[in-house]
Amino acid sequence: MTIAGVEELFRARELTANLVRRDLKVRHRGTFLGMLWSLTTPLLFVGLYWFIFTFIFQAGDIPEATRTDGTVVPFALYFFGGLVIWNLFATAVGGSTGSVIGSGYLLGKVYFPRAILPLSTVLSSVVTFGFELAVLVVATLVFAGLPGLHILWLPLIVVVVTLLAFGLALILSSVTVFLRDVAHFIGVFLQLWFWGTPIIYSLSLMAKRPGLLTLLKLNPMTGIVVSFRNVVLLNRPPDFKLLGYDFLVALVCLAVGTKLFGRWQRQFAEIV
Amino acid sequence: MGDVAISCEGVWKSYRIYHQRAHTLKEKVLSRAHRYEDFWALKGIDLEVETGTTIGIIGPNGSGKSTLLKTLAMVLTPNKGSLTVRGRISPLLELGTGFHPELTGKENVFLAGSLLGQPKREVEKRYDGIVDFAGIESFMDIPVKNYSSGMYARLAFAVAISVDPEILIVDEVLAVGDEGFQMKCWERITELRAEGRTIVLVSHSLPTVRTLCSKAVWLEKGTVRETGKAADVVADYLAEVHHETADQDGGAGAGSHGRRYGAGPAQITEVAVLDGDGGHTGTFRTSDPLIIRVTYDIPTGLADTICGIAVMRGENLAYVFGQNSGQAGLTLPPGSGTVEFRVPYLPLLRGHYVITAVLHDEAATKIYDCHERRHWFSVFDNPSLPIEGGMVHVATEWKASLSSDAPSSAAPAEQSAR
Repeated sequence: MTIAGVEELFRARELTANLVRRDLKVRHRGTFLGMLWSLTTPLLFVGLYWFIFTFIFQAGDIPEATRTDGTVVPFALYFFGGLVIWNLFATAVGGSTGSVIGSGYLLGKVYFPRAILPLSTVLSSVVTFGFELAVLVVATLVFAGLPGLHILWLPLIVVVVTLLAFGLALILSSVTVFLRDVAHFIGVFLQLWFWGTPIIYSLSLMAKRPGLLTLLKLNPMTGIVVSFRNVVLLNRPPDFKLLGYDFLVALVCLAVGTKLFGRWQRQFAEIV
Repeated sequence: MGDVAISCEGVWKSYRIYHQRAHTLKEKVLSRAHRYEDFWALKGIDLEVETGTTIGIIGPNGSGKSTLLKTLAMVLTPNKGSLTVRGRISPLLELGTGFHPELTGKENVFLAGSLLGQPKREVEKRYDGIVDFAGIESFMDIPVKNYSSGMYARLAFAVAISVDPEILIVDEVLAVGDEGFQMKCWERITELRAEGRTIVLVSHSLPTVRTLCSKAVWLEKGTVRETGKAADVVADYLAEVHHETADQDGGAGAGSHGRRYGAGPAQITEVAVLDGDGGHTGTFRTSDPLIIRVTYDIPTGLADTICGIAVMRGENLAYVFGQNSGQAGLTLPPGSGTVEFRVPYLPLLRGHYVITAVLHDEAATKIYDCHERRHWFSVFDNPSLPIEGGMVHVATEWKASLSSDAPSSAAPAEQSAR
């Protein structure tokens, strides 16, 4: 991203903050629980997964899910941990795809750096993620124990996944302006991506199938999910090799996204 | 003059008119021929707006006014040419920009404020004023989707006129709604102008452009036809419009572009409308002092020159009042000089007014020079006076008395019977 572009975004930070606030408020407006839903949804999910995996699947513990002190993390928690970071990514990418066309009514009336639109959607996903993370940390305390020092790596992981999501958001939101099919296609695509990421299963499950394992490791979300679970649940360091690769992919996405978005944004107001 | 706030150099803008736009993949793949044509809305616009000036953009429909405005507001990007803007722009292209129906009035004030380029501190400072103006204090915490359309419009309008821009870009669509709204809007623009802000406005109301703007730009089919002093550009524009429609209405339209005629040799070189302190202005409030200053050139030997001033309503040319210096026993001394017509207390109510200034001889048989309906001013309501109907404010008294004090009702009948 050009220096001028970043500076322009920074100058419009109040507007960005207001749009993030709008996103969050609008999402829960008119509901009885309001902002409490941000806490309730993940809590209900934890309960649901715990019930399904303990009583229906009777899933055993997975070898990877042991902490350095030997405590075994219950499978439901293990799964929920992966899901929390995945949700951040999926809601950011899925939500921002339509962020430009969804704000068409603004584009023709007032100038602001257009990248604010996908950016504010991504940031509001980060805020929601904060709520889910709080639930996850409490659940970890109850079912697994205190987190270790490795949790200090957490901000780094969040930065990498946010950058990756913002890069993709720039690409997808601008492409959607010209090709609205993307908005439909992205839902299915994210479902596929979900199953292609070790969230409901662990990487070790694929140990016997090296081909599939390599493929899995090419998925930039793999390193993020694995590292996130390591630092929050398992008291282990992040997988730096995979996380470094994810960071590179994020940078490439950002570069491509800025380029595309920058070239096309001048036409947004006329087409949307 | 001062710095340049906006400078446009050779700006071209085209719209691609698709006969059938491909929005989906299927359409994109299947329709090989993308049928469209380019429509050039702006064809090489050169424009400089100096800091602190108010400039009006006029022209017929489809001449590119709105496109130019949106280009200046940086909503549209020109295909060719360069645009440089120095200062923070607040575009008012519609009412309620960025209002979200699910958000409360209060939240929307802040959201819309930041969209219009207002820092949060500023909005906080003005918040009470906005609520006050909109007059819906008890509704600020409910979503605007539950507002009546009148409440919505009032809030949107209050936000719009609260902006404190360095450069204000206004479309006349802002002035839809009742006359009170429009006047408030123009009043606010007048205030901002007095504070030295740069203002660009598009309007179909030529009297507005004439009184509010110092400069005007006449657009025609995407090019600048004329640019210069607002009064001159508006006069020329009207002259052409009237020329075109002269056959239909016999050339006597109420819009009246004004004209200049006279046999000489005395000449009016300038007519200025001034406020009480002698500053140039085009806008007044009822009860303000007003001065019309006529600058003249009278050859030596012409000893009986009288100056006459007439004031008419802008929209229907209703004759409001007229006086000449002869009535006050004043003949103008020959040479180059000025004569001032002073109105210490302007009784006119809100509206646009047009002036005719004339130099003639004592008997008013010879017209030396006449600027007929060429100079305009506008009057706004004075908030400290009660609201009145009609054209003029008249100092009056009301008195009521009971009928027992009055002569008996039979008396007049007897008298008339005699």
